[in-house]
Amino acid sequence: MSYIIENPRGTCVLGGVNNVLSAVTKVCPIYHSGPGCCMQTAAGESGQAGLRAPYYLSNVSMPSSNMLEREVVFGGEQKLRDEIDGALEIIDADAYFVLTGCTAGIIGDDIEAVTADYRNCGLPVYPITTPGFKGDSLLGYEIAFQAFTDFIVEIPNKREGNLVNLWGVIPYHDPYWAGALEEMTRILGKLGLRVNTFFTENQDIDVVRASGAAALNIIVSPYLLRKTAKNYEEKFGVPSLRFDGVPIGPTQTGEFVRGVAEALKLDDDLVNRVLWEESAYVYNYFETIIGAFSWKRFAVAADAGTAIGVTRFLADDFSLTPSAVVVTDQIWDESDKERITGRLTKLEYARPPKISFASDHYEIREELKKHDFSLLLGSSLEDEVARELDVQLQRVAYPISDVMVLNRSYAGFRGCLTLVEDLFSNL
Amino acid sequence: MATTYSGVRELRPYTYNDLGGDSMRLAGNFEKKCLKSADRTFSQGLQCQQINSISCVLSMSDSAFIIHSPQGCSGCVSGGADGYRVGQAHRGVKLIKSPRVIVTNLDENDIIRGGEAKLREAIRIAGERYDPKMIFIFTSCASGIIGDDVDAIAADAQTPDGPILIPIHCDGFRSKICASGFDAAFIAIKKYLLPKEPRKKSSGLVNLFAPTSISYKDQLEIERLLALFGATVNYIPFYSSYEKIQMITAAEASTSICKVFADEFMKELEESYGIPFAHTVMPIGIRNTDKWLLGIAALLGKEAPAREYIEKEHKRVQPKLDEIKGRLEGKRVFICGGTGRSFAAAALIDDFGMQLVGLETPTYDFDAQIDIEYLNGIHKNYVVDVANMQPFEQVNLVNHLKPDVFIGVPAWSARLGLPTTHVLDPKRPTMGYDGIVYLGEKIAEQVENAGFNRKLAPYARLPYKKSWYEQDAFKYIRDL
Repeated sequence: MSYIIENPRGTCVLGGVNNVLSAVTKVCPIYHSGPGCCMQTAAGESGQAGLRAPYYLSNVSMPSSNMLEREVVFGGEQKLRDEIDGALEIIDADAYFVLTGCTAGIIGDDIEAVTADYRNCGLPVYPITTPGFKGDSLLGYEIAFQAFTDFIVEIPNKREGNLVNLWGVIPYHDPYWAGALEEMTRILGKLGLRVNTFFTENQDIDVVRASGAAALNIIVSPYLLRKTAKNYEEKFGVPSLRFDGVPIGPTQTGEFVRGVAEALKLDDDLVNRVLWEESAYVYNYFETIIGAFSWKRFAVAADAGTAIGVTRFLADDFSLTPSAVVVTDQIWDESDKERITGRLTKLEYARPPKISFASDHYEIREELKKHDFSLLLGSSLEDEVARELDVQLQRVAYPISDVMVLNRSYAGFRGCLTLVEDLFSNL
Repeated sequence: MATTYSGVRELRPYTYNDLGGDSMRLAGNFEKKCLKSADRTFSQGLQCQQINSISCVLSMSDSAFIIHSPQGCSGCVSGGADGYRVGQAHRGVKLIKSPRVIVTNLDENDIIRGGEAKLREAIRIAGERYDPKMIFIFTSCASGIIGDDVDAIAADAQTPDGPILIPIHCDGFRSKICASGFDAAFIAIKKYLLPKEPRKKSSGLVNLFAPTSISYKDQLEIERLLALFGATVNYIPFYSSYEKIQMITAAEASTSICKVFADEFMKELEESYGIPFAHTVMPIGIRNTDKWLLGIAALLGKEAPAREYIEKEHKRVQPKLDEIKGRLEGKRVFICGGTGRSFAAAALIDDFGMQLVGLETPTYDFDAQIDIEYLNGIHKNYVVDVANMQPFEQVNLVNHLKPDVFIGVPAWSARLGLPTTHVLDPKRPTMGYDGIVYLGEKIAEQVENAGFNRKLAPYARLPYKKSWYEQDAFKYIRDL
């Protein structure tokens, strides 16, 4: 199901699957698609996520069968076989995933059969059916994890009590993905945990393979990876703990730490010490800027997870006034909408903002124009409406195409300091 | 020829996309018409023609755009939109606008039942929201394969006073040459927008066709050059509009600043409206700028003043060029670029006495042959890789040829540790006589200071097996 949409925030399933694959070390995606899919997905995803490109294979360096009229008419399976042979010969990878574009999807090339021939010979070549018309890149993120559970993750011999999987941040889509995963890894590390993100610290397919031995999956998204969580529980015995988004600031990150500690029954003294140290780190900085920051009324236009993170931090920890929140990801489930609305409106101190859901750029713009605020937290797409309304814009969410983001993020304890730095304006 | 041109570049005679070898041998074989059609059995991704069609018209300010496709085919809009937004900033616009792009978002249901209803709805929405003069509709692989009759739907949805609906047929799978997408856009402009009766001739008006990768600085420089001969410029289609498109037919002459941009369209304009055109080269470097300028000056009957001006400009920039030449002479160069920029760069390096050892360019055809023969005269033999990027071949060749400098998209060769630079800069000056100085200084600075690449290289993670670097770069190119 899909609807007509102006300036969509995301590409197709193919783009979402590739975001995941291109962030795992030494994994090779092979596009079985029309000639432009590699560039469209790269420009639309990593190209609008703080300008970093996946280092190994990305954009026009991805193996691609570049299906033309000939393949559309006669089928492209032989072309795909040649393509896989070449990739195996020259690309140094531990796993090869064949992805389909619309073209292969419509004409019905059987990539399962083609890749099975390779696996039968002991070669790590796997199929992921991803024609763009199946859905958006968020669904693609889910499908990639589904493929990992189907083909890669092994049933563990023993449980590793201090190992956790940390998921829910989409690499090369969320502009702050790397910094956010690094900050959460740092905090969990202080609690004595080892963290699988699959995407940072050069983690590779072996890390994915062994992830079934983890003691807990931590998912920092209001709705992503439900099916994967269920699979991990049933196939590998790994329970999952969900947070509404990437935690920002002492309150949310405190909840994050306590939630994980409770699930894993971590030592209370250790947890309390870490929370005190980390919170003190933040407040010792905040103490030095008292009075430097003007009060502002703010609005947010972002995906649900980011919207919850920044709204709660700015309202409850930083005492700014929330005016309106437009949740921009395509959310189909009414109960998800209710839960997200609940999370955004039950604030500790601040009066609740007006919540709406819109993914169409025109609708987002028109909704924002109904409210009164002087600070807008959104994406590069909000630049136009911010100029029109003459308000300050801070880019916090995908798509970000005009600011470079390397390892910075607004996540956790340290990230909230970066957000405050960025929000200061002397104008 | 032009009236029946399909918009698919490889269907033109003697056009090759998959080819590699020594320049002398290729030129000889092309001359004898004994090059064979080939394909790569292993290849990396390409740019599809839809990307070019969209970028071609995306900065038309009084338009809305509909991409009739699943959501992913709007990915490259980000690049075009950035160009449009930066372009406005450079032109002093304060309230910078984004292009109005609506995606029909074809899903599984539409793939089975057809996307007509969504396309009609998108047309209605675009009209209601923005009241545009024109709505460009781009087809996609998906809409093409399922057979949506976009022309018929648009014709039926067209109202007398409503926005003009302009379908552009740019299904990605129909061409391997992304420049076909430019042709598809111009075919649609001709069909749906140009008046049957030409506008009254406007004295001195010249159509200047330029893709969006041309910077505002370059636009100003080109306009300044043409103003020297009393010409005014109708700059199409970047920052263009319905009215400017109508004025195409009032022009006295046409020219383009990219070899693969509007070349077929200019032939059409000559046939349909009697507007002569100059199709020469991209005005980068002394030789090309001279050639480009003389090409359009001849049409305007201004050859004598053009030659006079060129001589004056040569005198003005020569001391600068000599100084740059002192820094660059003898350096061995590998070039990779689109059709226009790759040959422009190859001509430019001659101004600085540099030596060409390798050239990657997307297409080999009659036009390319002219350039290859010219370059053969200067550089003797060098390696030609007819490829739109194909980084695996590039790193193999660069590693093998060991040039002193790489000119082109640096993403891959930079990681081999050699100096890299580029002649494409959509935000800064590269064209005309001042452009030569800017590029020369940029190249010299980047060649002398490759600290970034050299220090990065030991840590770089290119994806290829060591064994690949020992093999023939062209081993996957097989005759059809």
